[in-house]
Amino acid sequence: MKHSERTFGDTLLRVDNITLRFGGVKAITDVSFDIHERQIFAIIGPNGAGKTSMLNVINGFYHPQEGTITYKGNQRHQMKPHEAAETGIARTFQNVALFRGMSTLDNVMTGRLLKMSGPAMRYYHRQFADMPVINYLTYPAMWFGDFLLDSLYWGPYQREELAHRKAAEEVIDFLEIQSIRRTPVGRLPYGLQKRVELGRALAMEPDLLLLDEPMAGMNLEEKEDMCRFVIDVNDEFGTTIALIEHDMGVVMDISDHVVVLNYGRKIAEGTPAEVQADQDVIDAYLGVAHEEDLIEK
Amino acid sequence: MFYREAGQFYTSYAKDQGIFQLKQDKFGLWGILFIAFVVVPVGLYLMVQGGLMAASTKDYLYNSIFLLLLVNSMAALGLNILTGYCGQISLGTAAFMGVGAFTAYKFSTGLNYRIQKEDEAGELISQLVPMLPPIDNPILLVLIAGLVTAVVGVIFGLPSLRIKGFYLAVATLAAQFFLVWCFSRVEWLYDYVSSSTIQIPPLKLFGLVVTGSETVMRDGQEVTIYPAAETKYLICLSLVVFFAFVAKNMVRGRIGRAWMAIRDMDIAAQLIGIRPLATKLLAFAVSSFFCGMAGAMSLIFYLGALEGAEAFNINESFAVLFMVIIGGLGSITGSFLGAAFITLIPIFLVVSLPWLGGQFGIPVDAAMVEHIQFMIFGALIIIFLIMEPLGLARLWQIGKERLRQWPFPY
Repeated sequence: MKHSERTFGDTLLRVDNITLRFGGVKAITDVSFDIHERQIFAIIGPNGAGKTSMLNVINGFYHPQEGTITYKGNQRHQMKPHEAAETGIARTFQNVALFRGMSTLDNVMTGRLLKMSGPAMRYYHRQFADMPVINYLTYPAMWFGDFLLDSLYWGPYQREELAHRKAAEEVIDFLEIQSIRRTPVGRLPYGLQKRVELGRALAMEPDLLLLDEPMAGMNLEEKEDMCRFVIDVNDEFGTTIALIEHDMGVVMDISDHVVVLNYGRKIAEGTPAEVQADQDVIDAYLGVAHEEDLIEK
Repeated sequence: MFYREAGQFYTSYAKDQGIFQLKQDKFGLWGILFIAFVVVPVGLYLMVQGGLMAASTKDYLYNSIFLLLLVNSMAALGLNILTGYCGQISLGTAAFMGVGAFTAYKFSTGLNYRIQKEDEAGELISQLVPMLPPIDNPILLVLIAGLVTAVVGVIFGLPSLRIKGFYLAVATLAAQFFLVWCFSRVEWLYDYVSSSTIQIPPLKLFGLVVTGSETVMRDGQEVTIYPAAETKYLICLSLVVFFAFVAKNMVRGRIGRAWMAIRDMDIAAQLIGIRPLATKLLAFAVSSFFCGMAGAMSLIFYLGALEGAEAFNINESFAVLFMVIIGGLGSITGSFLGAAFITLIPIFLVVSLPWLGGQFGIPVDAAMVEHIQFMIFGALIIIFLIMEPLGLARLWQIGKERLRQWPFPY
């Protein structure tokens, strides 16, 4: 599908005048942009431009001093990372952040933890969650019931575990990593680790997927594979994707909308073609000749 | 040749998610359980009956080796859950075991407290008044001890949200010193006895005497029944086996995955939606539950009477930590292997050194045995840590992987 033919939904995430400071250092200054549903959104910029800080703000790791973030129509304030995960934001890291002691399958299954609420807890949410007083009284009992079922690996819990195993296997099939299912991820080559990390994020069935340099340090073949996965995820699951990438070819090929940051400021925004033609962007990437240098020449 | 997956296919996720990937492993475990539950008690009984072994040797085996091994296994399981699976280093294991022992004692005597009042002569007398009816079921006592210790463990686990690694170890060291101080200073805990020792009162399970002794009339004569070592051994073994399965189920399910996620990469774990504090506290609670049970078992079945500050000092904490490290962090099997190593090697040295000295004509007395034991033990630990830092469980795993290929080189 060509870019011009693609249609997007409403605004999923609105970043409004975000300013982030670490002591006296301004990491991000007054940045605003909108990410629409089903978009592949790219954030680019030279090293130290504040791209990863931006993702950390969206994620809830950093709390900006100024500005607001509106996600799914709700403006949110100080948010913890696990709360961001509960609202459907998943993320991969620039340096692979897998659980090294666990197998590929366990890593992907860990991505499903939020979906595994436990049978008793599901009953609680169906029956008691809305009742005043009773919800406080039944919550610990239900929690403990789940805990006992877990520790015996029995009945309803086992059925739930198997259902999620099925979902995890679908992710594993999708990413074509069946053969390394039981391998501890610490033993895998870098390219595959990146893929498993994507799998872990996909297992969360996120609404917004943040990818921090998904293709860094990969060879051409691995990059092409990863591009295909990113496009497929967007196509098949309708997941909105925000990615940071240094490979301009990749960014220009797969993204629908690009924001360019430099020294923490937004210097350009638009379709890949518009951004490519922008003089500020060219200056930021190639550098600007200073007047004195010109005179000397 | 015999140990390989050839021909074993799994057609459902339920089978593939099982504890054992290989049928041979499953049979192996059943075999071990059969030996522990049936062959050992029956075999030893027959040997004593047949005159091959003195009754005192049998009791020594049970009371000094098997029971100690089981108590240590339980404690190692507990610490392995916290340190091996959740990555939180703790040096307070012995203190948590102590909490378990004292809880079991207090509940077995009915949570006594002391009141002081004046008698008719106007003199001040003190009297112990129970708050609850005393519990005389050892298994119930062990479980209550576990629950109370879990609560204590959660309280001392609270700092783990802010501090990690060695600093957390120091914080748990505070728990160790504070609780052990309580064991010798808070009189209520040991019922105001001047020696601050606690002794478990007579307990019975299903009519069998477990601790103390019972005097019954039989054929018009008073007969004193002492607890059989087999009874204690089988109760302890059942507890350890059951809770080892519980631990295995926890670590292979969603709870264990959350623990391991926190251990391996806590930032990524938060992004997946794992709440760090709740997950760590759950690990502290479950770990302390196991350690508390180990402490209660040690009081009820192994020692019978103990002095808190003596039995649960920091050396015990380090011993359990060594068991976990040598056995293998993050492995249920490793907990047992480590407990066996740390428990059995000293006993083996005590028995073998005098004999070995005799062979070379060197007299080896008890003090010398103790010194040599420390030296050899320390050397063994260092050698093990250098050769296989991941512990005996890793050696066991490597051995199994080799065995899968044997006798072919590929």
